[in-house]
Amino acid sequence: MVAAIRRRVPAYFLLAPGTLWLIIFFVIPLYFMGKLSLDTEIPGTLHYHFTWEWSNYKEALELYDTQFFRSFEYAGIATVLCLVIGYPLAYVIAFKAGRWRNLMLFAVVAPFFTTYLVRTLAWETILSDESPVTEFLHTIGLAPGGHILATGFAVIAGITYNFLPFMILPLYASLERIDVRVLEASKDLYASASSTFWKVTLPLSLPGVVAGTLLTFIPAVGDYVNAEFLGGVNNRMIGNVIQSLYLTQSDYSAAAALSFVLMAVIMIVVFIYIRFAGSEALMGQEAT
Amino acid sequence: MGTSGSAKKGAGRLALALAGLAVAVGLAACGSGIEGPVEATGAKVELEKKATGNLVISNWPLYIDKKTVPNFEKATGVSVAYHEDINSNEEFFNKMQPQLSAGESGGRSIFVLADYMVAKMIKLGYLMELDHSALPEVKANLVKNLRHPPFDPERKFSVPWQSGMTGIIVNKEQAPEVHSICDLFNPKYKGKVDFLNEVRETVPLVMKCEGVDTEKATEADWLKAIEKIKTAATDGQIRRFTGNDYAQDLTNGNAIAVMGWSGDAVQLQADNPNLEWRMPTEGCMLWSEDMIIPVGAPNATAAEAFMNYVYKPEVQANIAAYVNYVTPVEGVQEVLAKTEPEIASNHLIFPSPSFIKNCSPTPALEGKEEKNVIKAFDEVLNG
Amino acid sequence: MSATAPTAAPGQETSPGRGSLSAETGPARAWRWLREHAVNIVAILVVIYLLVPIVVIFVFSFNNPAGRYNFTWVGFTLQHWSHPFSNSELTEAMLTSIKLALLATVVSTIIGTMMAIALVRHKFVGRRIANFLIVIPMATPEVVMGASLLSFFLILGTPALGFETLLIAHVMFCISFVVVVVRSRLIGFDRSLEEAAKDLGAGPFTTFRLITFPLILPGIFGAAMLAFALSIDDFVISNFNSGTTVTFPLYIFGAAQRGIPVEVYVVAMILFFATVLAMGFATWQQRRAERMTSIRPEQESDIVLPGIA
Repeated sequence: MVAAIRRRVPAYFLLAPGTLWLIIFFVIPLYFMGKLSLDTEIPGTLHYHFTWEWSNYKEALELYDTQFFRSFEYAGIATVLCLVIGYPLAYVIAFKAGRWRNLMLFAVVAPFFTTYLVRTLAWETILSDESPVTEFLHTIGLAPGGHILATGFAVIAGITYNFLPFMILPLYASLERIDVRVLEASKDLYASASSTFWKVTLPLSLPGVVAGTLLTFIPAVGDYVNAEFLGGVNNRMIGNVIQSLYLTQSDYSAAAALSFVLMAVIMIVVFIYIRFAGSEALMGQEAT
Repeated sequence: MGTSGSAKKGAGRLALALAGLAVAVGLAACGSGIEGPVEATGAKVELEKKATGNLVISNWPLYIDKKTVPNFEKATGVSVAYHEDINSNEEFFNKMQPQLSAGESGGRSIFVLADYMVAKMIKLGYLMELDHSALPEVKANLVKNLRHPPFDPERKFSVPWQSGMTGIIVNKEQAPEVHSICDLFNPKYKGKVDFLNEVRETVPLVMKCEGVDTEKATEADWLKAIEKIKTAATDGQIRRFTGNDYAQDLTNGNAIAVMGWSGDAVQLQADNPNLEWRMPTEGCMLWSEDMIIPVGAPNATAAEAFMNYVYKPEVQANIAAYVNYVTPVEGVQEVLAKTEPEIASNHLIFPSPSFIKNCSPTPALEGKEEKNVIKAFDEVLNG
Repeated sequence: MSATAPTAAPGQETSPGRGSLSAETGPARAWRWLREHAVNIVAILVVIYLLVPIVVIFVFSFNNPAGRYNFTWVGFTLQHWSHPFSNSELTEAMLTSIKLALLATVVSTIIGTMMAIALVRHKFVGRRIANFLIVIPMATPEVVMGASLLSFFLILGTPALGFETLLIAHVMFCISFVVVVVRSRLIGFDRSLEEAAKDLGAGPFTTFRLITFPLILPGIFGAAMLAFALSIDDFVISNFNSGTTVTFPLYIFGAAQRGIPVEVYVVAMILFFATVLAMGFATWQQRRAERMTSIRPEQESDIVLPGIA
């Protein structure tokens, strides 16, 4: 007991700088953003005062509901795509890669080593209207409008690419921890390969699936770089709107309101998802 | 997991919340930011005897030749940090605004911004009043039609940098028959057309296509034109709204007809000789951008020395020959006639009155009307 | 975030297959063969997909564009590789980025390591909240973090947006990742070594200096690398809070308006190779540390784990 009390003092000392930093520069700013979202501009001054202006929320959402839904749609599709194309790779790295394992893991993280904006620009080059890739996709009928760039397809492709490693790494981490003997046991009991996969491998990798989808989905919803470089007029996401309201249009209250709603909706979606998908996956990683 | 009793946990949580709140309230109370009181600023340039020291300039990219700054440094001994960090009037203003409202300029002494932005900044008290005694070249050489603009009738705050025309830039091969703003709505070019993200240029050009006199346009005319643009955007006719970056779409073939600025076309031909600026049959938009000295600018003396310097016809000739916009300085055509005759005879750089007879100046938007128009246009921009 | 927690016990209830009595027939075996190879083929395609843009960046760093746009292939030149820092604005932005990333790394690594030690080694009131506080920034989209910090600075009116605000922001989003990485290292840590030191009469500080610190050093190093990588690549949060300060990603965003100079691709590739070298070095260090102390091998994926873009 005495030891426990004695221990607490250094604990708080160790904890203080980080906790304070996060409280002052993460928690309190959220409070300020909430406050700003209820402000009104004093006309023509660019100064604001607090007025409980709830209509900011109503107006902002009426104007930008399309972009809101679009963001969730694009992020959702991209997350599913990441899962579908990321799972096979994670599976192969975990169970089949042998001595290629490290090299393949390297390939997964390699995109992180090039600047985010530069690799998105590279996609802009790859998908531009007169590039061989676009022409190929056009000939096989995958580019109905005649162009890929400046469509939702390009934005989703960009998001999928940029966040794919977030999906693969947790998938790999959870697959790699599966005891191979369990899979062998399943085989010994004459389960077919596919039923081994569906009934053993996949359920055991579920924590990775949950972590991966969250790690992909959350940043994807708020992303605006892909829509900026790869999208057109009709593909702008809520991140673009928030960014331009804050940084070019100086419409701070509307921007703050949208950011707040975005965060709230994501929290709710994530909460429901974790409840639904079984919470050990995430909580297991959080708890120590 | 913390195993302490829940009462203790609750107490800890409460203490934390209270501490957080106390800090927040304390911070907000001493705030001088956008929720603080409005401070009327505004100041006058106080000249020193001689321009010396450092000068920081913010301008648009590729908006000056390579020689002028070094030559100015040599001539005056002032050392210049020249930043090409303005990509959009709104964005730049937005970046600087928190500092400007506190009477600071972020170390910068000259900005180059569009007329309407300058008008806005004058109203907000963000600019320094110039001392014209240090600007003899401006007095002597500023072209007549820019001497008394409505937003700054005596040029107390601003000196024009360059003027220009907004029209259309086309790829001659792929969009040969685009000659008017209305042609940009031709479904034949669906998805291959970029419009500008500048409300004061894009919307009036479309109004011209609609046959509206932009100088007499009502709010309803503006909103009607915006509605037309919106339809074209949702239909996929317009690919993107761009600033300078339409050039990129043109050079890699993503767009074949765009709304664009006169000076760009010449530079773009280096990338693709098929690109060409065209005067829309409906006429173009005329605009100017001005040099201004923001409040709190260090070394305003050197800033005025620079303004004065670029108004020497032989200096301006270099700038004009490089940027290919319409120069606001008299006597440049004569200088260029001797050195670079083909530029002196270029009607994009020295437009004749008949060439621009259908063009109109960027219309002023005010008060409530401005707010509504901008809101409607922003909604279109944000898709 | 990293693979730290004990997983749920292997699902015994799922393993006994129902259709297990049907013996494998020829077609079934062929099907399985095909399927296994299909998985490999898909995996290889995904690897290619992941690497294609990097190859494109590499190739275009040798391009010799006619005008200002490096989007179509014109011709090969070594010019940009021989003078990667000829563009002064780009160089300045890169130096700002490096300075910012170094400072943010040092601060966030120290603060984060302290937090991680507190969380693993100590029991105290409010531990759950502290854990929550660490997870929540990682579950918040960057645009919201950037926007809320900007609101904060705008309302306070001070400090002026610029290098200081960038540093504050970068430390803020790096802390959580540092804590997670160092914590995973501390959890897989053999306490008996510390006990032994104590038994031999070492004080807590000496124990920390001679035993604990060297043992968690690879974890700290990995965390620092992750923080550096996050900071140097951050665009979204920086874009909100930079004022007129220009970092490398912000420079690229601005330059995208007017044509990206080829040097950007060169610098991006230099960064790439530097990171690869640093990664190799870190992995080697960690392996060496593990061999020397022969503690339970930790998950090797620690350093690699999620860097956000």
